[in-house]
Amino acid sequence: MQISEQLVRQVVQEVLASMGQAESAKASAPEAPAQPVSGLTLTELGPAQPGTKADEVVIGLAPAFGLYQTKTILGIPHAVVLREMIAGIEEEGLRARVIRVRHTSDVAFVAHTAAKLSGSGIGIGIQSRGTTVIHQKDLDPLSNLELFPQCPLLKPETYRAIGRNAARYAKGGSPNPVPVENDQMARPKYQAVAAVLHIKETEHVDRNAKPVELVVSFK
Amino acid sequence: MMQENLIEEIVREVLKSLQTNQASAPACGAKAEGKTSLDPARDYPLATKRPELVKTPTGKSLSEITLEAVLKGDITPQDVRITPETLEMQAEIAEKVGRHQFARNLKRAAELTHIPDQRILEIYRALRPYRSTKEELLAIADELEQKYGARMNAALVREAAEVYERRGRLRSA
Amino acid sequence: MKRSKRFEVLEKRPVHQDGFVHEWAEVGLVAMNGPNDPKPSIKIENGRVVEMDGKPRSEFDMIDQFIADHAINLELAEKVAAMDSRELAKMIVDVNVPRSEIVKLTTAMTPAKICEVVGHMNVVEMMMALQKMRARKTPDIQCHVTSLTDNPVQIAADAAEAALRGFNEMETTVGIVRYAPFNAMALLIGSQTGRGGVLTQCALEEATELQLGMKGFTAYAETISVYGTENVFVDGDDTPWSKAFLASAYASRGLKMRFTSGTGSEVQMGYAEGKSMLYLEARCVYITKGAGVQGLQNGSISCIGVPGAVPGGIRAVLAENLITTMLDLEVASGNDQTFSHSDIRRTARTMMQFLPGTDFIFSGYSAVPNYDNMFAGSNFDAEDYDDYLVLQRDLMVDGGLRPVSEEEVIAVRNKAARALQAVFKELGLPPITDEEVEAATYAHGSKDLPPRNVVEDLKAAEELFKGPATGLDIVKALAKNGFEDVANNVLGMLKQRVSGDYLHTSSIIDKNFVVKSAVNDPNDYAGPGTGYRISPERWEEIKNIPWAMRPDQIG
Repeated sequence: MQISEQLVRQVVQEVLASMGQAESAKASAPEAPAQPVSGLTLTELGPAQPGTKADEVVIGLAPAFGLYQTKTILGIPHAVVLREMIAGIEEEGLRARVIRVRHTSDVAFVAHTAAKLSGSGIGIGIQSRGTTVIHQKDLDPLSNLELFPQCPLLKPETYRAIGRNAARYAKGGSPNPVPVENDQMARPKYQAVAAVLHIKETEHVDRNAKPVELVVSFK
Repeated sequence: MMQENLIEEIVREVLKSLQTNQASAPACGAKAEGKTSLDPARDYPLATKRPELVKTPTGKSLSEITLEAVLKGDITPQDVRITPETLEMQAEIAEKVGRHQFARNLKRAAELTHIPDQRILEIYRALRPYRSTKEELLAIADELEQKYGARMNAALVREAAEVYERRGRLRSA
Repeated sequence: MKRSKRFEVLEKRPVHQDGFVHEWAEVGLVAMNGPNDPKPSIKIENGRVVEMDGKPRSEFDMIDQFIADHAINLELAEKVAAMDSRELAKMIVDVNVPRSEIVKLTTAMTPAKICEVVGHMNVVEMMMALQKMRARKTPDIQCHVTSLTDNPVQIAADAAEAALRGFNEMETTVGIVRYAPFNAMALLIGSQTGRGGVLTQCALEEATELQLGMKGFTAYAETISVYGTENVFVDGDDTPWSKAFLASAYASRGLKMRFTSGTGSEVQMGYAEGKSMLYLEARCVYITKGAGVQGLQNGSISCIGVPGAVPGGIRAVLAENLITTMLDLEVASGNDQTFSHSDIRRTARTMMQFLPGTDFIFSGYSAVPNYDNMFAGSNFDAEDYDDYLVLQRDLMVDGGLRPVSEEEVIAVRNKAARALQAVFKELGLPPITDEEVEAATYAHGSKDLPPRNVVEDLKAAEELFKGPATGLDIVKALAKNGFEDVANNVLGMLKQRVSGDYLHTSSIIDKNFVVKSAVNDPNDYAGPGTGYRISPERWEEIKNIPWAMRPDQIG
């Protein structure tokens, strides 16, 4: 399958319909910005700059992550996702820098943007519904180091392992890919809900907006 | 290039109306300027109905491509490729069964047979969004036309260059 | 609330595992006839379209322009635009109006017009129309042959069995991308062991897929995706022009190809521009037509969960198949992805193509168990073979499969595994052990095979891809090791690209390597007793499922 279809598939395979999400799926207009996510504060610092330090991994958040949407398709709070990913990077002795990508909601391009700004050349892209990619700046946008298309199968420990592996790539290693399950029946269950979540993410895309540096704090 | 499309269109329509007018005339053995005139019902598939018309780029006939010849080393990858002449014949068949766009694709393909695999892949990549400046695309069009005589493909690339410019899909220089 | 026991039972039914959502037309989450779909129109000045579907040329996006300049036969365009859509729909369903007359009209329609026309039909009328409008008279099926562990021995054995069971086209893909040359080669050798003339492909990123074809490891290509909005097309890293060039590149190497698209992909990618799934898919069909490609795989494909979740979605999927045939293109009509937890629902979905017949009813019946299906599962898999044979027998419908005996399946699997073993040895690839051959012979899926050394395999596969080896080296390796018949079949496939006969619309290749396409097997359906009819021999085959009891042996 061609890469963009993989992307389509990623989307396809999501959505644990928690009550809140089921309700939001019925909404017909973009929601107002949520109250600050419980446990997570994202403060904008201004335009994200290219990194110079080889010991950093840049995490690129899709436009609605932690802002207009607050949990993944499985209902995992974005605070938990981000904390685990950063912890995974730090476990390997590297630093995480977090940016918001606003010009695209496509996870491959979010990740590639992060990688291009990363001092190590390694970036992670994540969408609100949870779909994640580890990218490297010299690869084609639709290529990747590791792709985690089935967001309904991504748990907190998976996000920590993704952070860890990204850091290992940044150190020049070739880690074993993070093992992920495969569920043939995720499509009929989650695909449409995943599409709705992606539409709601895409509504916050501003094609002309530049990536923004974020300060992350957890309560 | 729009003009070219237009001219092509008009010529095609005129030829078609001529064809329709002559539909009752005997078609048997008709030859036009040294070219065979193919009849889909009679001549397709070429490999079984008109094998004498099909040659490999090295001039071999289909019956010469045998297992024995392969094992003797007489058959090279060059021998299992299509020629522009064969593609033109298939385009003629496509045209006669009313598949005009498909016929044009086969004619564009005929122009590409002589371009090396690697260059084909490079040109394809250059045509992907945000990969090329307008000048780079126009240079490819010139190369297609001048180096390979690929006029239809050159027109396609020039058309792409204009559309990409209008829609902001060029690489910023 | 005190729960009703009946409701509790119903909630446990498999269909409740499927996701259903209400329509959200503003963002395109609507199957067809969306409130924001454009109204049909066309204006032509000096042979050039200056307005299409309510939009002036100055506002055309890339896709509008490509369709207006390349896809529509303009001679009759204004006349057809003025005709009543319901009358056109009636003509298409009417067995007394020949397909050849209909095609002249339908290929002159704009995308909005063709959607309006099919929008007047219910699913039975769409099936009537599909029966008449598909390009090739004889219906057929394609299968997926993949492996969870990318095990080449398993792929070869399963391909051989699938050929024996009647699949005339086969598609593989990879778990790990670097395995591609092994999977393609295993599919080629396995298929040609089962039956000479089976067409094979390996679904990969566009440029890589073309390279494998150029090497002679595959016979055709299908995963050339197109999309119905400009944003999604560009996110897919292509344009109609790059894809049109790619189409000619394939033909220039004598390789058959078709495009791929499907309802729901645009809304799935977040840029449906508020248009219905079917309208956007119609644009994909026109892009395919305009690029001069002979055919299209559609029927939602990997996005089936999206139309499947909204009202009328499966009707829209049938409609997109129908539109493809109305533009005189080959249709490989989907049914190739896990669609529902409910056996009732997934069967009903497939009947839409199974009953009228299409060029390829499935563009991927899984010839392996679904856990091995690397396209994320198919709507029918190897465990459904016998159910499917019974459906053919119950309804006297030719769905493309034939009953087989256990003995012949075991024999052909073993031969394919041994043929691949010989080729690996001859080409200096990591050895295939006798134990692996034995396991593949009797296997149901990859769990039944011993693991291979993945690191060594990948290294060798990469070298094979970069190296000079072509299909001719496979021919030689087979012949040198006593597999002359398979060698001849592989050579027969390579020869197809010299004559180019199989480039034509809806081509398949019979066991004598004669091409059957819409040119020499055109669909001439004109009502009862015409078009494709099951021959007495084929009916004998379909009737005789091995496990039916003989009356004389009962009692």
